[in-house]
Amino acid sequence: MSHLIDKLNYFRKKREPFANGHGETHQASRDWENGYRQRWQHDKVVRSTHGVNCTGSCSWKIYVKNGLVTWETQQTDYPRTRPDLPNHEPRGCPRGASYSWYMYSANRLKYPLMRKSLIKLWRAAKQQHKDPVDAWASIVDDPRKTEQYKTRRGMGGFVRSNWDEVNELIGAANVYTAKQHGPDRIIGFSPIPAMSMVSYAAGSRYLSLIGGVCMSFYDWYCDLPPASPMTWGEQTDVPESADWYNSGYIIAWGSNVPQTRTPDAHFFTEVRYKGTKTVAITPDFAEVSKLSDEWLNPKQGTDAALGMAMGHVILREFHLEKPSAYFTDYVRRYTDMPYLVMLEPREDGRYVPGRFLRASDLVDNLGQDNNPEWKTIALDETSDQLTAPNGSIGYRWGDKGKWNLQQQAEGQDVNLRLTLLDKHDEAVDVAFPYFGGIQHDHFPHVEYKDTLTHKMPARKVTLANGEEARLVTVYDLMMANYGINRGLGEDDGATSYDEVRPYTPAWQEQITGVSRDKVIRIAREFADNADKTKGRSMVIVGAGMNHWYHMDMNYRGLINMLIMCGCIGQSGGGWAHYVGQEKLRPQTGWQPLAFGLDWQRPPRHMNSTSFFYNHSSQWRYEKLDVTEILSPLADPRKYQGSLIDFNVRSERMGWLPSAPQLNRNPLTIAAEAKKAGLGVVEYVTQSLKDGSLAFAAEDPDAPENHPRNLFIWRSNLLGSSGKGHEYMLKYLLGTTNGLQGKDLGQEGGVMPQEVKWHDQAPTGKLDLLVTLDFRMSTTCLYSDIVLPTATWYEKDDLNTSDMHPFIHPLTAATDPAWEARSDWEIYKGIAKSFSKAAVGHLGVETDVVTLPLLHDAPAELGQPFDVKDWKKGECELIPGKTAPSIIPVERDYPNTYARFTSLGPLLEKLGNGGKGISWDTKEEVNFLRQLNYQHEEGVNAGQPKIETAIDAAEVILSLAPETNGHVAVKAWAALGQITGLDHTHLAINKEEEKIRFRDVVAQPRKIISSPTWSGLEDEHVSYNAGYTNVHELIPWRTLTGRQQFYQDHQWMRDFGEALLVYRPPIDTKATQPMMGKKTNGNPEKALNWITPHQKWGIHSTYSDNLLMLTLSRGGPIVWLSEDDARDIGVEDNDWIELFNTNGSIAARAVVSQRVMPGMVMMYHAQERIVNVPGSEITGTRGGIHNSVTRACPKPTHMIGGYAQQSYGFNYYGTVGSNRDEFVIVRKMKRVDWLDGEGNDYAQEAVK
Amino acid sequence: MQLLKVIARLMDYPTEHLQAARDALTAVVLEDRHLATRNKDVLLSCIEALCEGDLLDLQESYVSLFDRGRSLSLLLFEHVHGESRDRGQAMVDLMEEYARAGLELDAKELPDYLPLFLEYLSTQPADKVQHWLEDVHHILGLLAERLHQRESIYQGLFEALLALAGRAPDRHQLAEIVAAEAPDDTPEALDKVWEEEMVRFVDDQGSSCSGGDVVGQRRRELEQVQTIHLSDKLVPGADAAPASGIARGA
Repeated sequence: MSHLIDKLNYFRKKREPFANGHGETHQASRDWENGYRQRWQHDKVVRSTHGVNCTGSCSWKIYVKNGLVTWETQQTDYPRTRPDLPNHEPRGCPRGASYSWYMYSANRLKYPLMRKSLIKLWRAAKQQHKDPVDAWASIVDDPRKTEQYKTRRGMGGFVRSNWDEVNELIGAANVYTAKQHGPDRIIGFSPIPAMSMVSYAAGSRYLSLIGGVCMSFYDWYCDLPPASPMTWGEQTDVPESADWYNSGYIIAWGSNVPQTRTPDAHFFTEVRYKGTKTVAITPDFAEVSKLSDEWLNPKQGTDAALGMAMGHVILREFHLEKPSAYFTDYVRRYTDMPYLVMLEPREDGRYVPGRFLRASDLVDNLGQDNNPEWKTIALDETSDQLTAPNGSIGYRWGDKGKWNLQQQAEGQDVNLRLTLLDKHDEAVDVAFPYFGGIQHDHFPHVEYKDTLTHKMPARKVTLANGEEARLVTVYDLMMANYGINRGLGEDDGATSYDEVRPYTPAWQEQITGVSRDKVIRIAREFADNADKTKGRSMVIVGAGMNHWYHMDMNYRGLINMLIMCGCIGQSGGGWAHYVGQEKLRPQTGWQPLAFGLDWQRPPRHMNSTSFFYNHSSQWRYEKLDVTEILSPLADPRKYQGSLIDFNVRSERMGWLPSAPQLNRNPLTIAAEAKKAGLGVVEYVTQSLKDGSLAFAAEDPDAPENHPRNLFIWRSNLLGSSGKGHEYMLKYLLGTTNGLQGKDLGQEGGVMPQEVKWHDQAPTGKLDLLVTLDFRMSTTCLYSDIVLPTATWYEKDDLNTSDMHPFIHPLTAATDPAWEARSDWEIYKGIAKSFSKAAVGHLGVETDVVTLPLLHDAPAELGQPFDVKDWKKGECELIPGKTAPSIIPVERDYPNTYARFTSLGPLLEKLGNGGKGISWDTKEEVNFLRQLNYQHEEGVNAGQPKIETAIDAAEVILSLAPETNGHVAVKAWAALGQITGLDHTHLAINKEEEKIRFRDVVAQPRKIISSPTWSGLEDEHVSYNAGYTNVHELIPWRTLTGRQQFYQDHQWMRDFGEALLVYRPPIDTKATQPMMGKKTNGNPEKALNWITPHQKWGIHSTYSDNLLMLTLSRGGPIVWLSEDDARDIGVEDNDWIELFNTNGSIAARAVVSQRVMPGMVMMYHAQERIVNVPGSEITGTRGGIHNSVTRACPKPTHMIGGYAQQSYGFNYYGTVGSNRDEFVIVRKMKRVDWLDGEGNDYAQEAVK
Repeated sequence: MQLLKVIARLMDYPTEHLQAARDALTAVVLEDRHLATRNKDVLLSCIEALCEGDLLDLQESYVSLFDRGRSLSLLLFEHVHGESRDRGQAMVDLMEEYARAGLELDAKELPDYLPLFLEYLSTQPADKVQHWLEDVHHILGLLAERLHQRESIYQGLFEALLALAGRAPDRHQLAEIVAAEAPDDTPEALDKVWEEEMVRFVDDQGSSCSGGDVVGQRRRELEQVQTIHLSDKLVPGADAAPASGIARGA
């Protein structure tokens, strides 16, 4: 009988049931299920996120099988929001979903790599010198040797090394540099701690302990909007994305929400179902334009003109003609509008607005003994008396209980007068600068006078010195400045919207190209909604607007609109600038760890824009004349020299930091002082005055002032964020570069006055460039040593964002592949080898640190009135007042490793804190002793351990108010001491809540409200910036304590930006010298260089991923308009070259209707490692988007020691703007891959 | 098969240990009974070049050949799966294969790293070796040809492996194919490999069962292994051989 017949084909035997019929045995082959099961089988799921420079901060599940990561999916366990608010999840985007590819990619860095030429020198030197420090010295002190490896940077030639060898070399190089040149010649660059704060802290802790310099990033990336510190004294604080859902009217101004804020875009869509109107303002037809109800497209770079016209409408309709009660009350309480400004008389009989009136100007200081120079004055409406209301910055320091926004002065209730109209003593002519008439080859202008005159109501007051002053309010200044004629007489202001006078809707039409009707309507709708909803109008702003040289005007344009409409600090209102800082939520817990504040203070910080401008010799090519940006009302004799001079003056007046700091090794200064029989501070002061000591910045080309060692981690500095890329290659690295221009010496121009000029500038300043990365980025290609780091699925870390209130972990799903190590372990290893190498060279040393006048510290009360420079003999050199503080710091070099791996004693001794408040934290340190255990012997005996990255994370979480309710209560109590109000109710219900690392691994945790931030983490309101200012009456950290429309620093006034104005882009003069000079026969055209964020990558990360390359066009692309393409005979997908004096780029053309004529767009940070042919201009490989840029700093960003305009790391300082740049575009003739593989070809010439 | 170990060692990053072991490596090659003299001579000259050359120069050239980019990656699945998600599972399967042979990974390497894979094969009987090598011979052939065009000494190692696999690739044809290979990083090439068929909602053939509908089309795409550098066309004589195992990644 065959099997076929034996078995039943259609039936089966009935089975006997069991368990009283409840059970049944069933036998069938389930092998077929294995196919499905295997597909999704895994050993474990680990929670991690992507520590990339992205505000997403999305929680992901990482699937692991047999120790290998197999795939990732989005986490869906976010705590629910409250009723009537959509949930956060799922968060994620295609970029993140392709990350697991990176781990096992052929491009993954697997071993420590060193350039062969260097390894050869090193091994030979080690043969000759037993001591590694001597070995390193024998290499770097011999220019013939250094040339061998410096000129090879970027040219390949790596060999694998091992951790012992690279650590020994790096440690030795650092010891030698510190000993020979000074520890401040060791520099580290790493951005955005929020994206992986422990990894950031690893490097910064090491550098801070040895006295190295941590470089800023937010300002350098030009994501820092200086308008925010100017207006609010706040770096950047914004609503979480969920708060979009509370809004009634949203303008997305230059922010491409669906493309660049992908995981949050759903709130933007969902809120429309509630009836909220969304408006997109972008120069191109970006994705957000399609998503919104209405699209305005001002010409790129003219947004301030649009903002002014909208402000003009709002002021006229909602403040003057039919005043909104809500708006009036808001501006009276929360802005500087009622404050009085002194007028300065001019020879032509007109006046110009001067500085704020202060208590010290008045008889008997108006009864104020404490800081009368820093207390601003207003008129009380009831008594018609001058008064110094609570909350100005003079109350913040040296006083207790009066730094608040209660409408009080000296305990008396006051009601501040907004306008002097009808209450004025006389109407005076006040002059305002007008820049909208400046002619520019590529931007329209509206011819008018270069100064405008408005008739303003003024009061006369006799000052303490007997002089009679004329005073006006900021409210009246605002009306005049926005071009509104108040009817007091002859006036340049307008009386109707259709007059083409600054700054009417008709006027802006000629600048921006947007029709006046649209502007009037949108402004009216925006304000009307805010009036009806008490501030629920919002602007989501993209940093593109901030990347123009006059970014402050663009930003203040929309910020002013929001403040006029009472939107700041209200749910569903306010500005939302989500760029490049990603909010380091547990900041005050992180700072001691990151900057070694537990062992020694202060750390060395540097603002990167000034640093790179200076040390990569970009200043040697400066073409912007100061007179081009000075106000027509300023005295140009006071502002002589080149831009670098302003930065040098700023540094020596203590406004901006310096690095390297002095022109001598700071480890030698204490000994010199001792020899001279003086204290360190005394000695340095005296030496600076007599000129025997100077700032390194005054002679950056002298060898003793070069930065020597540079660490780069978590960053692609040279492939992504390096403005003036080619300058860096030439001057810092000393290797092949595409720089085209001539320096000031060759070309002529305004030569610097404060900086020594060398005809021959040194190249290759850096002795050692070390980069940590997990992939072979452009920066790695240029480094001497490349260290393989753990990916985001292979390390433990923390990640936060400003878009949502959760704190996310990165967790090690697997061990780092190959020889990779986590950043924490890498720097620990370097610290160990450094400590070893230091023995015999460096012991316990006294380092002399210079510290600028810091914001949120008493030093922010620097020079209250006009600027005085000690070097010019205008004032005394007083450290911490008219110059940087000079602070001796003791370093124990051989014990660097011991200090690195333990929490030092200073926290218990000095406490912890931030943003001007401090609290005792002994309890938390003690707790960490128990949680992390303590060291038993050595210099760190009895101190809590920080051995692992998780230990480090616990330090952050335990010390920070945001993650430790007990600390939060202490922090609010500490703030209450200063404000005189009780704020502890904001955290008391969470006092026992303590978030630990394992908690955030288990599920996303919402953080706790803390005074570090101006919003609340609350069950009832979404986080929104300025909320506690408005609702808890905590002052903004500005001069007046209010939101400031008026910026009264002397430089702000003289550079024409005391109030908002429209300023056209600057002329960078980078295309004229090249136009038609290196022709290939094809037509050329100068177009504006715009570099927005992209869709197929987060900056450079992911963009080299094949999945993303496929979704884009694979390789560098540049978008241009159909009109421009036609003009120069370019068709879609042609290879084109873009160049100017700074360098050159080769890319494919995307010809699209999306782009408006006059501009080209290249998405930010496309790597030069993928698919880049040679440039016909430079003969070397085409560059990155920054190859055609050069940093150009702005003097107003160098202001310091002046309340909100004081330096803070990533808070204030020069920024690396790049949108004003133009490039020459033309079709390439020859596409040469420079690889000899025979794929080169010629493109047909343009007919 | 000890010879495979020799090849594995030679294919790994050159070190001083390798250079010190010249005699031992040579001896194994001479003793080997599987390989033709011609291949042996090539191997011996490889050994000479790698053991006698300046170590740093050798290392530099190794890093620039194998540690950068995909076209010469020594990770087998790079050529089969690229960045497809199937790669993770394929590696897991391969590790199971090792486990069945009683071997556990004891190095910081991925399971599809070619020298590691060869070491595993060296512990296996000859017929299995041949089976496995045959399974990956198209990858070996392609790497050999790419190395040949770069005039690299490493080419010899791959030719020896192909000989062991019993595959004598048609050099002429391979050369033509590789020469015709567009640079794999151009946009056109990338697009081509990843191009999806246009979705057709109305089947122009008129037959609904042919899989020509949207669902069928989607399924076909999913079933397709997305090889980046390989197509059957590249493998002489393998047109109808749906090789199991490694090349398909299970």
